[in-house]
Amino acid sequence: MLEHELGHQPAWEQPLPQEPRTREQVEQFKEKKLLLDVREPGYMDDIVMRPAYTASPRLWIGFLLAGLGLVVLGATWLWQMVGGIGIYGIARPVMWSIYIVNFVYFIGIGHAGTFISAAFRAMKIQFRAPISRPAELLTVFGLTAAGLFPLIHLGRSWKAYFLIPYPNARQIWPSFHSPLVWDLMAISTYLSCSALFAYLSLLPDLAMARDRETRPGWRKRLYEITSLGFRGTQQEWHLHTVAMDVFTYAIIPVMFSVHTIVSWDFAMAIQPGWHSTVFGPYFVVGALFSGAAAVILILMIIRKYMHLEYFIRSEHMNGMAMFLLILSFTWAYFYFNDYLVPWYGQDPAEKVLSFQFARGPFPANVLWYLLLICNLALPWGLLWNRKWRTSPLVLTIVGISVNVGMYIERVLIITISLGVNQMPYDWGVYRLQLPEVLITTGAFCLVIFLFFLFSRFFPIIPVWEVKEGQEMHRLRQIGRAVVDTRVE
Amino acid sequence: MARSISRRSFLKAGAAVAATSVLAGCQPGLRRWVTLEPYVVAPEEQPDGIPTWYASVCRGCPAGCGIMARVMNGRAVKIEGNPEHPLNAGKLCANGQAGLQILYNPDRLDAPLLTAKRGSREFARLPWDSALSTLAAKVKDAGSAVAIVLGPTTSGHLVDLFQRLAKALGAPAPLVFDARSSWSGTAALSAANQALWGQGALSAYDLGGSDVIYSFGADFLGAGLSPTRYGIEYGRFRSQPKGARGYLVQFEPHMSITAAKADQWVPIAPGTEGLVAQAIARIIADEGLGTSDRIARAAALAGEINLASAAQAAGVDVQQLRQLAQVFAEAQRPLAIPGNGQSGAAGVTAAQALNAIAGGAGMALQGNPPAPALVRAEPAGYGQVQHLIGQMGSGAVKALLTYGTNLAYELPAQAGFLDALDKVGFVATFSPFMDEMGANSDMVLAERTYLESWGYAVVAPDFGVAAVTSQQPVVQPLNDARSAGDVLLAMAKQIPSAAGAFTWSDEVAFLREVAGGLPAGAAGGTGADAQWARFLQHGGWWPASAPASQPTPPPSASAPISVAAPQYQGDATIYPFHLHVFASPLLGISGANLPWLQGSPDPLTSMCWQTWVAINPATARKLGVQKSDVVRVTTPYGELEAPVYAYPAVRPDTIAVPLGQGHTDLGRYAQGRGASPLALLGGDAGPDGEPAWATVRCQVTPTGRSVNMATFEWTPGVEQGFFNQGYPGE
Amino acid sequence: MELNTHKWTMVIDQDRCTGCSACVIACHAENNVPIVDENQVWRGRGMHWIRIERYWEPDGQYVKARLLPVLCQQCDSAPCEPVCPVFATYHSERQNLNVQVYNRCVGTRYCSNNDPYKVRYFNFFPPQWDEPLNQQLNPDVTVRSAGVMEKCSFCVQRIARAEQAALAEGRQLDPSEVVPACVQTCPPSALLFGDLNDPNSQIASVLAGSKGRQYRLLEDLGTQPSVYYLKGGETNVGA
Repeated sequence: MLEHELGHQPAWEQPLPQEPRTREQVEQFKEKKLLLDVREPGYMDDIVMRPAYTASPRLWIGFLLAGLGLVVLGATWLWQMVGGIGIYGIARPVMWSIYIVNFVYFIGIGHAGTFISAAFRAMKIQFRAPISRPAELLTVFGLTAAGLFPLIHLGRSWKAYFLIPYPNARQIWPSFHSPLVWDLMAISTYLSCSALFAYLSLLPDLAMARDRETRPGWRKRLYEITSLGFRGTQQEWHLHTVAMDVFTYAIIPVMFSVHTIVSWDFAMAIQPGWHSTVFGPYFVVGALFSGAAAVILILMIIRKYMHLEYFIRSEHMNGMAMFLLILSFTWAYFYFNDYLVPWYGQDPAEKVLSFQFARGPFPANVLWYLLLICNLALPWGLLWNRKWRTSPLVLTIVGISVNVGMYIERVLIITISLGVNQMPYDWGVYRLQLPEVLITTGAFCLVIFLFFLFSRFFPIIPVWEVKEGQEMHRLRQIGRAVVDTRVE
Repeated sequence: MARSISRRSFLKAGAAVAATSVLAGCQPGLRRWVTLEPYVVAPEEQPDGIPTWYASVCRGCPAGCGIMARVMNGRAVKIEGNPEHPLNAGKLCANGQAGLQILYNPDRLDAPLLTAKRGSREFARLPWDSALSTLAAKVKDAGSAVAIVLGPTTSGHLVDLFQRLAKALGAPAPLVFDARSSWSGTAALSAANQALWGQGALSAYDLGGSDVIYSFGADFLGAGLSPTRYGIEYGRFRSQPKGARGYLVQFEPHMSITAAKADQWVPIAPGTEGLVAQAIARIIADEGLGTSDRIARAAALAGEINLASAAQAAGVDVQQLRQLAQVFAEAQRPLAIPGNGQSGAAGVTAAQALNAIAGGAGMALQGNPPAPALVRAEPAGYGQVQHLIGQMGSGAVKALLTYGTNLAYELPAQAGFLDALDKVGFVATFSPFMDEMGANSDMVLAERTYLESWGYAVVAPDFGVAAVTSQQPVVQPLNDARSAGDVLLAMAKQIPSAAGAFTWSDEVAFLREVAGGLPAGAAGGTGADAQWARFLQHGGWWPASAPASQPTPPPSASAPISVAAPQYQGDATIYPFHLHVFASPLLGISGANLPWLQGSPDPLTSMCWQTWVAINPATARKLGVQKSDVVRVTTPYGELEAPVYAYPAVRPDTIAVPLGQGHTDLGRYAQGRGASPLALLGGDAGPDGEPAWATVRCQVTPTGRSVNMATFEWTPGVEQGFFNQGYPGE
Repeated sequence: MELNTHKWTMVIDQDRCTGCSACVIACHAENNVPIVDENQVWRGRGMHWIRIERYWEPDGQYVKARLLPVLCQQCDSAPCEPVCPVFATYHSERQNLNVQVYNRCVGTRYCSNNDPYKVRYFNFFPPQWDEPLNQQLNPDVTVRSAGVMEKCSFCVQRIARAEQAALAEGRQLDPSEVVPACVQTCPPSALLFGDLNDPNSQIASVLAGSKGRQYRLLEDLGTQPSVYYLKGGETNVGA
């Protein structure tokens, strides 16, 4: 098992060392660290490919419910288009509401995916290996759901193509002054790049699935087509790595710019509560924060229900939890700035908003205190302890809590801020209605449905990255200590 | 690889294309527009896209403003004020602008209706011939036991025709009455002028030229006599030369828009307007304020009064009364505007007396219509209505005809009109709509709206403008309704005693004859045809130059004016609050079936579509209610339920409820909406013959329910603004 | 037609405005603005291109009312314009007004969010007129469908008609020919309208003579509105 004892057997067949203390250390490493716990060939493949071949009744029920959610989404949208968007809760002056909240939220949760798959890769953070694909998928699926909302919230969704710069008889471009058009450019870039990046990362595993599938049939055909003939030759791997590097370094600025641009939907407006220059970085950090929590939640779910305990171990949970904790501090800093500076400026409308958050009326104050609990109190209270950081239950709780808290944060920014402006006669409130609940549920069901769908065909863990990691990690003995070493 | 398309797949594709194009055509929002189809052969006066303007009269209130209707392709799309008309000079109020929704109202009647059981609201449609002969037969049978009630906006020629009918039948002269005229106290004003100057004419007020105006409860900018004319005057009042902007004081318990625009709003107790006026006159006399002429007149006119108790009854300081008296007496051209019948005839006289004391420069007594043949609808006092109800109740009225007045709605329930109606043999109503009067009639004769009718209006004498506004149809009549004038003429021919008095072929012939009697006016024209054409084209008749106003004679009152303290109805321990009934500037008393008026915000509360109970916020808190809570308002005479609006500009001891809602009929926009405070008033007249509008006490009890209030404003934002303050005094 | 030489301006004299709301109804009639029912008004979807705002100010035991007619301020530097993604609202060169193009609007409602005066109204439902009320609709003004934003246009259809009439008659437009519906009907003449570029106009002389009373709404936001207000009540500081 140890480096200097390398023999001719494959790593998984090598015996443990004789000396008890050394053996103990080696065993501990193998148990704790995925990248040191090499098993026989096909072990990992079997785990990740099993969902593609078997399904439990529970899964089918879940699939059905998620599908039902999609149908509800479509039906409600149709109802809205036919009946007029008055069926949901917006009014003058609160002209944007839950749909835009969903838009920002779903884009936001995708940022952690990109951060994990790209930025962590650039920084060579090792615990990223098994979790990068679920994270990337969250990005892609989240963006898909997010991309629906600019269409759903429109008064005339069927004319949304006006935003696309295509040659037309009126010879009009869309207005590039408008942050909404920047959104369109940014999100379409982000979605297409993330999708390509995810596919690129999927390629070797598709080849694995193809090679593993020996029976002819639709699965073989599917994997043959999608794996694009990837053979795993050295040149192919080299090109693959170069392509991954290009994407890694290109998609990081895209990620930062996307949520900055989304934040400019608000920061560029003169609405009190929005008109703040800190929105750019604040939203990016908020996105990472909510995304990290969403990724944690997804990981805990797939770990339990797809039996991926081999892949997702306490080191990964600890790593993600610490990432989340750091982000919560950063987010708190930006949030504080967002409130301190306007309060200092004593703009009357901003003061009213602050007052509403602190003292009411309902729901502003209740939501605000809930936000502080969910985003600050719970993470800070639960994640300082390593034992809790590596407990799936605690992580699930914190994951849900931060997601709820960040959702509330956007609800406060959009629906509460819009209710206050410089003309008190024209303030108003937002009243949540059934269509928003149905469509929001439908959007969440869409993401879940896509995850279900994906897991029925393709491996949800990037096995090739784990294998690559396992290849690069070795245990060495230095004196009496056994250390984990890595090839750069 | 080319593949031939099978017939089945072609049809499938075709069906899909057709389906999508049908779906595309069914885009939401493409419903119920008017399809603009130009005429194949357009009438000469209606070229496509070019409007034709027709001058006519507005019938929203009795003032008689001149309007012009913009007609495109035979449809009236906009009403503007007639710029040539001396009363409104091109301006028009909200009610006037909303007239198009009377013309195009979906609930218009289009045929005469007859019911077998009065009040059942089950009517059978009749052809006009049948209706006319039935009506003629009933009227003939009734003979001299016919009672006729008209509304104050009735065209002069119709008043004339009804008067002639009554005379020919030997029946009493028609009565002119509606809630608005009653509430405006027009009758009380004539009586006041009779007492002060021996002339029972109405007086006109020159607001624009006054420097100080004291308005004793007259909401002249709102739903009073003419928001248009008084609005114009108010604009002049605030823009006097050298930056002078006039000083307006409004005395009333609840802030109307007139009080909102006043420089000083004096929140007096309801019904004490007269007391305050008399107190001011007394102070001028006692303290020798102003010129010696004014002091002398004040001494002669102001009766004895205990200032302290008058001030207490009104709820003001004596010191404030002194200050007010001084300002009035020392002003150059002060003007007092008496209010409506709120405080009864004596109160109106006391306010008019202040004008007499001031020297009468700001007001002028008005004369008669410019031509003897022209008739004005002079509103009667409430006393005459009570007499009529008495006659009806005793069975002395065999047939009742009503036109333009929704008596079954506009009288207090306690007046006993509906009960008395049971004893009337036959009831017929002329109306474009099924209103409460129609619902309680035997026959409803579908009347044309004013924009489809002929007539004239002698401009109300309240404004000092000598003019007659012409009325002509601006569009082809929309349906089979007929104008009352033609109905009367046709009906009269079937009544032997009346046939001789009605020789004209139709009402236009009648109108031409009447208009021919006008002297030469500003429009000029020689010959009957030219004069008639000009009369229609310019929108009426007015003199080429405004006649010199007659100076007001010195007052010749026989006795000093003395106003008694108001007698409030209801035990103060059971009914602790005063009730103040008012009309919102938009809805007025009769605007409930017009969506533009229902759906536009009341200026001071921003309420739409509802009745509200205005309660001072401190009082509301004591009662434990807030905005949107439904309360029950009870008086000794009735009760109503409506939601609360916490209104900071009303006395804490006064509850204000607007008129206008609470209809059981009058169409889809009016029915089943809100409540009418007329249910809370007693039927008896006050000691001076006017209804006791202002002197009813009430109690307010929470019901525990609340409703969603349609306020256009965001009330918490306005209440707190940026400062999170409560109301003063809280 | 040459590019704009007019600077259409409105002056609102708060001392004269009585709150009678004739302007509100006139605008509904002229511009085919739908009336919203009771429940929708409660939900905050009332539509009045010009509205009379009423604020209370403490005054001893009671309050003073302040009336403020608010309509689209036709800002020279309109915050609603740059945020529309499809150019449904922009500054017209010909009339120097902030225009709203109904058939281009996709209904993102960003313009309303960025409008500090909240004068933009959205058609949440397809507007309906019970027949025959629809016969009253003004053919000069597009009837909007659901999902489209609308707002006061200074009665641009009247301006366009006057321009076309002048063109057809081969003469210059006389700015005093143009009057929006609200200005035309206002009985106290609290609303005045004209071309600020014309030194002989009533608007120019009124503004010149009321420097002490003039202000514009939310001026510190830098929107450069084309509507001037003259202070009223006891704040009227005279000529």
